Amino acid sequence: MTNDGPTPLERFIRGILPENPVYRQLLGMCPTLAVTNSMRAAMTMAGAVAFVLICANIVTSLIRGLLKPHLRILVFTLTIATFVTIADRLIAAFMYDMSKQLGPYIPLIIVNCIIICRCEVCASKQSVFTATSDALGQALGNMLALASIATVREILGTGMWFGWRVLPAAWPDWVVMVLPPGAFLTLGLLLGCANWISVKWAQHGRKA
Amino acid sequence: MTEENKIPEAAGPVIHVSPGPHIHSAALTTRRMMLDVLLALLPAVLVAFWVFGGYALAQIVYALAGCLGAEALFTAMRKKPFSLMDGSAAVTGVILALSMPATAPWYVGVIAGFAAIGLGKVIFGGLGNNIFNPAMVGRAFVMIAFATLMGASAYVDPDSSIQALTRATPMTAIKMMHETTPLSALLIGNTNGSLGETSAIACILGGVYLLWRRTASWEIPAGVLLAVAVISGAISVLHPDSSWGVLHSLTGGALLFGAFFIATDPVSSPVTPKGKWIFGVGIGIFIMILRTLSGYPEGVMFAVLLMNAVVPLINRWTIPTPVGGPVPVRK
Amino acid sequence: MKNNYIGQAWLVLVLAIVFGSALAGVQTTLQGRINENKLKDTMTQIPNLVPDAETGVQDVIGGVTVFKAMDKGNQQVGWVIQASGQGFADVIELLVGMSLDGATITGLYVLDQKETPGLGNKIVDDDWRDQFNGQPAGAPLTVVKNKVTEKNDEIQAVTGATISSDSVVAIVNKAVGQFRAALNK
Repeated sequence: MTNDGPTPLERFIRGILPENPVYRQLLGMCPTLAVTNSMRAAMTMAGAVAFVLICANIVTSLIRGLLKPHLRILVFTLTIATFVTIADRLIAAFMYDMSKQLGPYIPLIIVNCIIICRCEVCASKQSVFTATSDALGQALGNMLALASIATVREILGTGMWFGWRVLPAAWPDWVVMVLPPGAFLTLGLLLGCANWISVKWAQHGRKA
Repeated sequence: MTEENKIPEAAGPVIHVSPGPHIHSAALTTRRMMLDVLLALLPAVLVAFWVFGGYALAQIVYALAGCLGAEALFTAMRKKPFSLMDGSAAVTGVILALSMPATAPWYVGVIAGFAAIGLGKVIFGGLGNNIFNPAMVGRAFVMIAFATLMGASAYVDPDSSIQALTRATPMTAIKMMHETTPLSALLIGNTNGSLGETSAIACILGGVYLLWRRTASWEIPAGVLLAVAVISGAISVLHPDSSWGVLHSLTGGALLFGAFFIATDPVSSPVTPKGKWIFGVGIGIFIMILRTLSGYPEGVMFAVLLMNAVVPLINRWTIPTPVGGPVPVRK
Repeated sequence: MKNNYIGQAWLVLVLAIVFGSALAGVQTTLQGRINENKLKDTMTQIPNLVPDAETGVQDVIGGVTVFKAMDKGNQQVGWVIQASGQGFADVIELLVGMSLDGATITGLYVLDQKETPGLGNKIVDDDWRDQFNGQPAGAPLTVVKNKVTEKNDEIQAVTGATISSDSVVAIVNKAVGQFRAALNK
C-alpha cells in the first residue's frame, strides 16, 4: 500500500471541519433534519451514529482483503445493519424514553450515507488504525454539526438547552424552530455560515 | 421596431417585466411604484386607525422596525448599496403590519418583519430575486412560531375597550359558530380581523388606484375574485339556505386585501398576462379550499405562498409567441 | 478460490451467520429489559390514574388487555385501560383510569403523541388532562370551545388545537364505551 494518502491524523482532522459530513459533504441529512429539535435527541443520535460508524469501519477494514468488488456494498450493508440493530436494542433497553422519542430514526441509521461512504472511501482500503481514526473524525464532525443545529433550534424553540432553562421563562418560544420548517431554516443558515467562514479562512490563508 | 410590436399595456406608466421588446422610461422606478402602493394602502391604514386605534399604529411601527432594521443590516453585510430608500422594505412592512392581529405583542411584529426581509428576500439575493412574497413569508413564520398569538383565538380580547376586538373575526364566526356578519360591517370594516383587511371599501379604493396607475396588473385580482365568486357561488347553489353568500365570501376576511395588495407583488407573480390569470385563479381556488376544508378560517396567506412556488413554472408555460411566429428550434 | 457461487459468496454467508448469532445474543439479553421498560411506563402511571392505587395487574376483559389497579392491601380499587386512535398528526396512545364499577373516569395519561408542539401537544398538560378526572363514563364526553366548563360531560378544547382535543375525547369515549360493554357482560 502506498503512503501518499492522508495520514490517520489528517483524516481525523479533516472529518471535523474541512470534510465535515454534514456541512461539507451534505450527507446524512435525514437525521440532521429530523432529530435536532433538542440537544438530548441530537446527541443520542450522534452517539449512535458514532458507534455504528466506528464499528462498521473497523469490521470493514479487518475483512478488506476478503472483499469481492461486486459484493462489497452487500457486505457493508450487512455490517452496518447489524450494528444499527445492536444500537437500537441498547437504546431501547437503557434509554427507553429516548428510544420512544427517536422512533424510527435509529433504525434509519442503516441508510445513513455517512457510514457507507466511509466504508467505501476509506475503511475498505485502509488499515484498521487509519479506518478508526477516520471514523472518529467523521463521527466527531457529525456530532458537532448536529450539536450546532440542535443548539440553535432548542434554545430558540424552547428557551432551553439540554433541558436546562437558559433563557428567561418570559421567552416566547419560537415553536417553528422545533417543527420541521425550523430544521430546514437552521440547516440552511448554518450551512451558509460554514461556507462564509471557509471562504474567509481561504482568503486569510492566501494573504498570509 | 414598429408600433405594433409594443404590447398594449406599455403605453401607460407601467412596470411589466414582460417579454421583449422593452421600453426604457426614467419615470418607472421602484421607488415611484412603492410610493404608489403606500398611497393605495392609505385608506386601509385609516380604517385600521379608526377601528383599532393605537393598536394599528403600534403594529405598523413594530413591523416597519423589523423590516427596515433587517434591510439595513443585511445590505450592510452584503456590502450592497443601501436600498432602504427604494421603499420596498417599507411596503413589505406596512403590508405585513396590516395582516397582523391588533393585539399581537411587539416582538411578533419585529420578528415577522425580520423574517420577511431576511428569509423572504435577502436570502434569495434581494429585491427582484425572491420567489415568495416577503410579507407573507414573515407572517407565515410568526404564524407557525407563535400559533397561540396569531391563530383565530388571538384576535379576540373579550375585555378590550375597542369594540371590534371583543368579537370573533367574521371568518372565525362563520366557520366555528355559524354566525354571519352583516354585509354592511364587512364593507365598512367595523369588525374584527387583521388590521388592514376589515374594510372591503378601503381595499377596493386602494386597489382601484393601483390598477388605474397600472402599478398592479388587473389580471391577478380579477382571477382571484373570479375563482372565489364561482366557487362560493357553487357552494351557495348547493346550500341555498346558508346566510353566508357570494358577497360575504368576496368581502370577508383578507380576500380583497390579498387580491389587490399581496398577490400583485410584481416580483413574486408571473410576467405574462396569461400567467397572471392562471396565478390569480390558482390563488382564488386555494383560498376557497383552505377556507372550506382546512382547520384555518382564512387561507389567503398560504394560497399566495403556494402559488408563488409555481410562478417559475407558469412563466415557462406561458411564454408568448413572438411576432412573426415561433422561434425555430435548432436541430 | 473456486469460481462458483460458494466461492463468490462465502464471506457474505459467514458474515450473515456471525452477525445473525450476535443479534440473537443481543436480543435475548436485552428483550426482558425492553419489555420491562414498556410495562413500567404503564405501571408507574397507575397510581396517578386511579386514587389510592399502588400497583397494577395485567388482565384481559372481553379480549382487551387492561390493568387492575390495586391498593396497598392488594384490593382492587379501579381499572386502567389502554386506548389509542388517530390524532391530528399521528396515533395518540392514552391510558384511562376508571373506577371499580366503571361508572367514572378517574384520570387520563398520554403515553405517546406527536401533536403540533405549542398547540396540540398541550393535551399532555396536567391542567388539561385533569378535566377528565371525575367525569361520568355513562354518556360520551363532548368538547366545547372558549367557555369555562361548568356542566359535567364537557371538556374544554385546548386553545387553537380543536382537532387534537376532539381526537383525545373521541378515543376516550370509544375505549370507555367498549370497556363498559365488556365489563357488564
